[in-house]
Amino acid sequence: MDFVSFALTQCLSALSQAAILFFVACGLTLIFGIMRVVNFAHGVIFMLGAYVGYTAARISGSFIAALIVAPIVVGIAGIAFERLLLRHIYGRREGGSDLLLTFGLAVVLSELIRLAWGAQPLSLPAPEPLLGALFILGQPFPVYRVFLIALGVVAGIGVWQFLERTRAGLLIRAVSQNPEMVHALGVDVGLVRSGVFGLGCAMAALGGVLAAPLLTAFLGMGTNIVIDAFVIVIIGGMGSFLGSVIGSVLVAFVQVIGTYYFAELALAFMYLLMLAVLIVRPGGLLGKEE
Amino acid sequence: MIRFGIVAIVGALVPFAVPQYALTVIVAALIFGLFAMSLDLMVGYCRLFSFGHAAAYGLGAYSAGLILIHWKLPLLIGIALAVGITVLVAIPIAWICTRSTGVSFAMLTLAFAQLGYAMLFRFRDFTGGSDGIAGIPRPPGPFGMDWFQARNGYYFLVLGCLLGSYLLCRAIVRSPFGAVLAGIRENEAKTVALGYNTRAYKITTVVLSYGFGGLAGALYAGFAGYASPELFFWLTSGHVLVMVVVGGAGTLVGPILGAVFFVFLEHQLSQVTDLWPLAFGAIFMAFVLLAPQGIWGFLARVRKDSNAAA
Repeated sequence: MDFVSFALTQCLSALSQAAILFFVACGLTLIFGIMRVVNFAHGVIFMLGAYVGYTAARISGSFIAALIVAPIVVGIAGIAFERLLLRHIYGRREGGSDLLLTFGLAVVLSELIRLAWGAQPLSLPAPEPLLGALFILGQPFPVYRVFLIALGVVAGIGVWQFLERTRAGLLIRAVSQNPEMVHALGVDVGLVRSGVFGLGCAMAALGGVLAAPLLTAFLGMGTNIVIDAFVIVIIGGMGSFLGSVIGSVLVAFVQVIGTYYFAELALAFMYLLMLAVLIVRPGGLLGKEE
Repeated sequence: MIRFGIVAIVGALVPFAVPQYALTVIVAALIFGLFAMSLDLMVGYCRLFSFGHAAAYGLGAYSAGLILIHWKLPLLIGIALAVGITVLVAIPIAWICTRSTGVSFAMLTLAFAQLGYAMLFRFRDFTGGSDGIAGIPRPPGPFGMDWFQARNGYYFLVLGCLLGSYLLCRAIVRSPFGAVLAGIRENEAKTVALGYNTRAYKITTVVLSYGFGGLAGALYAGFAGYASPELFFWLTSGHVLVMVVVGGAGTLVGPILGAVFFVFLEHQLSQVTDLWPLAFGAIFMAFVLLAPQGIWGFLARVRKDSNAAA
């Protein structure tokens, strides 16, 4: 095995990891940017996506159906949570209620998932055409991971174009800058917030379904990824979409390299990266300093 | 002060009034109460939401455990050294974390706690890895003291530490130093404009908070006889933060009540149902939504209302 092909497959592997991280981190940063809500439950929502996807695939027999059903179901659940509970804490003078409320949601939701689907890990295999391996410079590489990279790129460009080119995207950016002014111009800001929260949850759920063939659906998957996603968002800058893209790629590379060379300290490397970024730029790479 | 005296006397009589197994739960509750109170210094007085306070707890517990096992020092000296170690480690952590505020502060503290968690697995020979360290003794001394080796005695040690720490924390938050902390909490920019170096105040508060948290961890090591990686895990940080908020942040007494409330509730509910975590999360969400001032804040409001009515 020569070094070039080895490095190449490691890079591709990191990029496919980055794709999954991006699906979670992007929603997290959008929700923070628009609503000033730190959604600690985002990892559990990712996990819910994987479980709903598992059930959808079991019933329909199709992975594609899981990719469509899970984001819709979880997105609607997210909107319901925002409408019923979360909106009561907007505008509280003291901060931190958002973090606390969503922490409570994370605990409740992961227990409900345990009750509904049981404690055993559930496997959701990738569809037949994506099961094999490609040979890249003589090194085998799973087709499914190539599919993840492609989907990650498509989603990244899609969200970016949505934010930049559409009227809804314009409203979202406007609300993130000055909600009172947007409200005064006759826009239903509450609706924009619900929509963004639902969209963020749907993206996380999609990430969950996509991660399931690699990780299986298991009860700890939410906590692992939410910490990764927070690290990404803080490295990239809270509320910055481009920051979440850069952060996802950086963290994925650090994780892949760290796991290969320093098995047990792989986690530590991610935090060291975050520390280094925050020491140089306390607001994150592309964020504004608070 | 009279109320404090009554609490101290009632506390001293508890071991003679309750069965022995209940005393074990009470000791666990008091240790967690001390841990929650230490976090309140940061959360309630500086609005620094630490999501990694488990680092203080774990550090205190592991240093106490390792000192007591390997050096066989007297228990009280071992605990004091563990607090010292926690404080020393906390200084650079505080220095780095206070560079940022809000969510970044929460995540930085979380990062340090998770680093500690990772270290436990890296230096397995020393820390026992996922098994943790077991068989932590309670060596007698200094001066031949051994009263804390029995269950009742250990209860008095924990109660003494809790009451002493409470008096100390109360003195801190009521001092001119505490007034500056209140200034930081209410309006940091204004406090800076008044000429205070707010960063130094925040660093001191974080270090103090870790010190008291380390004391709680060290007491836990002597109480349970073992220390496991769980102590460093982020769920521990999350749970203690929940206790502070449910009890009432910024009141010192509230977080102790919150911890006692949750330890007892867990003890009772986990016997009858395995839905305990669900109940825990639901109770917590209800508090955040309906009673953000917590148990103690709620009681204070009820008392004020009844005074106003009378």
